Amino acid sequence: MLIKTKDKIIVNGVSFFYGRNQVLDNIHASFAEGAITAITGPSGQGKSTLLGLFNCMWDEIPGARCTGTIRIRLGDMWVSPLKKDIPMPLLRRKVAMIFQEPNPLPMSIAGNMAFPLKLAGVRDKSFIEEKVQKALAQAFLWEEVKDRLEKSALDLSGGQKQRLCIARALVLEPEVLLCDEPTSSLDKKAAGIIEDFLVSLKAKCTLLVVSHYMDQMRRIADKVMLLQDQGLSQI
Amino acid sequence: MIFSRETIAKNVFLFCTLASTVTISSILLFMIALGLPLFQESSFLSIWTGPWDPYQGLYGIRPMISGTLWIALPATALSLPLSLGTSFVITSLGGRELRRMLGALVRFMTGIPTVIYGFVGIFLLMPLIREGFGGAGMCVLAAVIVLAILISPTMILFFSDSLLSVDPGDVQAAKALGADRAQRLLYIIMPKALNGMISGFILALGRALGDTLISLMLAGNAIRAPRGFLEPARTLTAHIALVNAADFNSLEFRSIFTCGIALYLFTTTAVIAVRFIGRKKSVMQ
Repeated sequence: MLIKTKDKIIVNGVSFFYGRNQVLDNIHASFAEGAITAITGPSGQGKSTLLGLFNCMWDEIPGARCTGTIRIRLGDMWVSPLKKDIPMPLLRRKVAMIFQEPNPLPMSIAGNMAFPLKLAGVRDKSFIEEKVQKALAQAFLWEEVKDRLEKSALDLSGGQKQRLCIARALVLEPEVLLCDEPTSSLDKKAAGIIEDFLVSLKAKCTLLVVSHYMDQMRRIADKVMLLQDQGLSQI
Repeated sequence: MIFSRETIAKNVFLFCTLASTVTISSILLFMIALGLPLFQESSFLSIWTGPWDPYQGLYGIRPMISGTLWIALPATALSLPLSLGTSFVITSLGGRELRRMLGALVRFMTGIPTVIYGFVGIFLLMPLIREGFGGAGMCVLAAVIVLAILISPTMILFFSDSLLSVDPGDVQAAKALGADRAQRLLYIIMPKALNGMISGFILALGRALGDTLISLMLAGNAIRAPRGFLEPARTLTAHIALVNAADFNSLEFRSIFTCGIALYLFTTTAVIAVRFIGRKKSVMQ
């Protein structure tokens, strides 16, 4: 079911190249605010590359080049990441990303959660604790880890690690959450918990989810788009 | 009886470990045995803490120990920030061309013979020190500067390898959370690369402690403990090289083994100390 809402992201004529290899060709799309848009397609078509364009994760890859326009509405302001009219760290705090493999940093659970806040210059301990608890609760993780916050995040189970990574991304209250196959490395039960969690986030942010699973997309997505032969179309 | 490949491999590695341990221990025992006549003639304490004056029957190596520490420690300390900065630029902070160029330059530097560094010190650096600070120019400062440059490629290559071996997933995670290049380097890459970087530091310190030619060519070789960077000094290794031609049975010659023991102990202490600090740091993380 497509929810009628305002556009959050507008993509206009975007092409992407790794050196001489063209991955995306003249992509046009818009993504609605407060909705989950799933992007699917065969492997190697550039789904992760497309997702990484929205928070400029490609900017340090030697030989990578992107043309066209991407506009993202952050608050009341439109920004164009490709024009770099917003500092990249700030963009990535507002357009957060989670990856296929959960990637907790080699530090404690509390350390992982506080890390983005510290990067953003937050020093107030009680504020950090409050934010961390709120984000962990939101990820249905607080009850499971509240007694071992100082233990290594690497000791959590796969599903817990992925929820920790989503909670860590949410601690800065992003407006867009980019999810690159967030359940592909998890079992069915853990994947179900992550799906419910992602659906619960719609009220707070716009989600773009890359997925290979059609049944999953039907369950969680408001709109499904197919990336094939360098082009993006709605299905 | 058939041995599994795993058992064979295990035993081969065990043999290698034992062989290394025996070799290293034998070197120490060999030095103690050959230095024994000197230990029998002079008191143990006077050899380590007394002055060097063979005509008076004094074979103390304190001036050389002092000279070694005055040169090796500042050279390593000077090289550390230089190497850290360069390895940061090579691995993450520099542009593509700059990284490539600096990397090639550092690898090239490792192939330059030590004597060339010594010549550069004599013909370029010593006149500057002579004009700037007075004196002959052959002093601790000249040796420290050239030695710092000499050991920096070792440190840079070790640091760079360690920094590049950090899991790219961790770096990507930090980047996606809004960490800029410097923050990724400081909070993610450096803590994870610490052990490899410690190895590089130890190796460079060992090289500084063990270098002979630079101190021989630039430090002036005066047998007295230096009290400043503009004074001449003789290191343990330079002493070994200079006394090497003496009669094998003379106590003067035997003193080179006490110098060897001192170098051995310095290096071992440095390795243990730096490893201990590194382990403590890892536990804290």
